[in-house]
Amino acid sequence: MKLSPYGSGSLKINLNGIIVIVGNYGSGKTEVAVNLAMDQKKAGKAVRIADLDLVNPYFRTREAREILSRMGIDVVLPPRKYLQADLPVLSPLVSGMIRNPSELTIIDAGGDDVGATVLSSLADAFKGRTVQTLQVVNPFRPFTETIEGCLKIKDEIENASRLQVTGIVGNANLIDETTPEHILFGYEFVRRLCRESGLPLVFVAVMKRILDQIHEPPFECPLLVMERSLALPWMKQG
Amino acid sequence: MAKVLMKGNEAIGEAAIRAGCKNYFAYPITPQSEVAEYLARRMKDVGGVFLQGESEVAVSYMLFGAAACGERVFTTSSSPGISLMSEGISYMAGAQLPVVLVNIVRGGPGLGGILPSQGDYFQATKGGGHGDYRLLVMAPASVQEAVEMVMAAFPLAEKYRNPVMIIGDGLIGQMMEPVEFPDDLVSEPTNKDDWATNGMDSRNAGTPNIVKSLHLDSKILNDLNLTLKAKYDRMKKEEIRYEAYNTDGDYRVLIVSYGTMSRVCRTAVDNLKESGFEVGMIRPKTLFPFPLEAIRKAAQKDSCKAVISIELSMGQMVEDVERAVQGKKPVEWYGMCGGDIPTPEEVMDVVRKLG
Repeated sequence: MKLSPYGSGSLKINLNGIIVIVGNYGSGKTEVAVNLAMDQKKAGKAVRIADLDLVNPYFRTREAREILSRMGIDVVLPPRKYLQADLPVLSPLVSGMIRNPSELTIIDAGGDDVGATVLSSLADAFKGRTVQTLQVVNPFRPFTETIEGCLKIKDEIENASRLQVTGIVGNANLIDETTPEHILFGYEFVRRLCRESGLPLVFVAVMKRILDQIHEPPFECPLLVMERSLALPWMKQG
Repeated sequence: MAKVLMKGNEAIGEAAIRAGCKNYFAYPITPQSEVAEYLARRMKDVGGVFLQGESEVAVSYMLFGAAACGERVFTTSSSPGISLMSEGISYMAGAQLPVVLVNIVRGGPGLGGILPSQGDYFQATKGGGHGDYRLLVMAPASVQEAVEMVMAAFPLAEKYRNPVMIIGDGLIGQMMEPVEFPDDLVSEPTNKDDWATNGMDSRNAGTPNIVKSLHLDSKILNDLNLTLKAKYDRMKKEEIRYEAYNTDGDYRVLIVSYGTMSRVCRTAVDNLKESGFEVGMIRPKTLFPFPLEAIRKAAQKDSCKAVISIELSMGQMVEDVERAVQGKKPVEWYGMCGGDIPTPEEVMDVVRKLG
């Protein structure tokens, strides 16, 4: 396995510049993007996050807006009155934030090639800039249970977005039914995917309560330790 | 079989395939479009057909045609789309056709909004289309239950030769949960030689079958309606499904709630129990036939001071709850209908005031 060039051999995530989060539908892009923003903000960086998910009507970054804003993370969303529209509304602020990136700029794209298509409309803004495009992978989701499935989605996203995937993010989970075994299976799965694609494993995302149950963590890559941010209504407190 | 993580809409599509349905006709509408997106990929793998109609009206008659030919067939849509299909649904009921319909409900009336709602309760249980017909209506409260209800819907539709509807608020279609597809719910299509227009070659019959809903003779039409009524009465005897929660001991208030809303209520019941305030809940899994008797009995308990229907509509189910309680206890309503879902704390506040 290639060691992540981003992690400098340490288990801490250290990402800078423009990060585009892509992946198949339901791979957990938003959960990863939101938690990555919080993690890097805690590490002292100036972080800005944009929600480009124009294909998914529920559970978008916009749902986490308040938590992120309270932490001092700059959240770029369409105007409030369009937040619940099932129309593609791309805020003009997004191309501006690409041209004048923050220390860390995270772009949360929509799922599959359909969701990534919007990235191609930002090709002019991306021109001449270094962009890291990270593919989030959950092997417990339909269409990405196999390495071939992940590579097929990667090609489709690259064609639609006009961006090259530069790294892999492991996000194996069954939400509340995730066990340490799922995490370890997922880790081996993304290592294999990285070997076969030649891409670096940038980090593996894992919920804190599951990580605590893993006695001898085998991870040789940085970890994103996540707290749940997009809760369902019956789980909400207060 | 190992669990996979699926969005409700994807799981509904996969469940139909596992149930042996190879025909899916639909028209996209938020918040159910992922069913079509999923089946556009998957139907090819299993040698099935996904055909997008010109409109929901067209879709409803594609369903009619395929079912008349004896094929397992289903559609998915959301509220305004079901309104457009309602004429065809009435025709299917009149022609006694087994069809599975899924409504992932959005806010209404009119174009409304795309967020979760249960505002199509009347449409699903009391008609929608014209004439004396009923649908067998099931309402899942989780993605797993949506899978099981879709898989069960096909044999039920064939048992009664009647359309079956699965009704879920938007969250049932949109949220992700781990699911599995139970092998014991896999079923084979029943033999339809007695009535389907499935060709003369394969069956031993001298006369062709005719599938229609037009009957100009008054006696024949009256007899048809009596046949339909007998089917609906049989559903009331054999198909009522519900879950009773925390009803074994005494409780001060009885909640009646279904779908996503019932999960919020369940959290509220648990939280109230911790504070020493007992609340029971009946969760209808079938909306037609409605669990009248279960609610009537649960409301009769001496400790129960009031019954409340908690729903994501402006009090549609409350009318059936009143019918069940028969004036023996006060029946209240609480709900929201703009897309927001009440929190457990809001439900707790409302329930505390009743007991």
